[in-house]
Amino acid sequence: MDEKDKEIIDLLQNRFPLSSEPYKDIGDKVWIDEVSVISRLARMFQDGAIRYIGPFFDGNKLGFSSCLAALDTPENNISFVTNIINSYDAVSHNYLRDGTPNIWFTVTAPTLEEQNKILQEIKEKTGVKEIKVFTAKKKFKTCVNPIKGVNHD
Amino acid sequence: MTELEKKVLSELQKGLKLETRPFKRIADICNISENEVLTIIKNNISNGIIRRMGVGLKPNKLGFKDNALVAFEVKPELVDSVGNFLANLKEVSHCYERECPPDWNYNLFAMIHAESKEELNTVIDNIIKQFGITNFKIFKTKQELKKSSVRYF
Repeated sequence: MDEKDKEIIDLLQNRFPLSSEPYKDIGDKVWIDEVSVISRLARMFQDGAIRYIGPFFDGNKLGFSSCLAALDTPENNISFVTNIINSYDAVSHNYLRDGTPNIWFTVTAPTLEEQNKILQEIKEKTGVKEIKVFTAKKKFKTCVNPIKGVNHD
Repeated sequence: MTELEKKVLSELQKGLKLETRPFKRIADICNISENEVLTIIKNNISNGIIRRMGVGLKPNKLGFKDNALVAFEVKPELVDSVGNFLANLKEVSHCYERECPPDWNYNLFAMIHAESKEELNTVIDNIIKQFGITNFKIFKTKQELKKSSVRYF
């Protein structure tokens, strides 16, 4: 990913052109043509650096309930537990981490009842003793935007 | 929210295509004009249902090798100060105060992205020194087990 790529990402993250030809408008701002913008983005998709371009929704505003959850499982049980957790569409993120607990995932469901039902099911199917649940109380930042060398204003 | 709006947001959620007029494609699917699609997007940004238009990135593909979820124990009266401080750090992508289980005192969570172990430690050191935080836990990311977008529509 070079400086031009970072400039393109920065514009898409912070000043997404809501216009008929958004990639052309991005190109105009970084002094390259639309075809180059599109081919650079296509390459970043290919590399896996980008997975999605579009709107990010506020689940709370849509009435959804969500939480961060964590459980601990031994090394040799991780893939078993992961398969169960990942089988739920309501689980959008799941990470193996150092420390205890070691499995951290998010559950987002249309209602709190649905969310708790999924957590209960995961607990039963995996056989873990406990799932720790962390519900957001206050949001300070929620924007994956860690591109270095680019000014964010 | 009208059925038409739901349909438009649902199409947008599939991700914008890399083509000259990505909003026109959605307009055609929904049998409305490109301008109407853009208006629906703008309205839903204004009312907060769309948090932002942007790019879904994979931090580990962007040169951030050392990523960690860090949970800090912060006194209630300091949560806002520390939370706002964390939100302003470019290395922090997410920061939430969370309700925690009774046996868990680390109430302020931040996702920190760094290019090296040293950088990660420096960032954390700065935070704890700045606010005199003595208790915190670092959960370094070992493996991404799942990353997807929640389907709201």
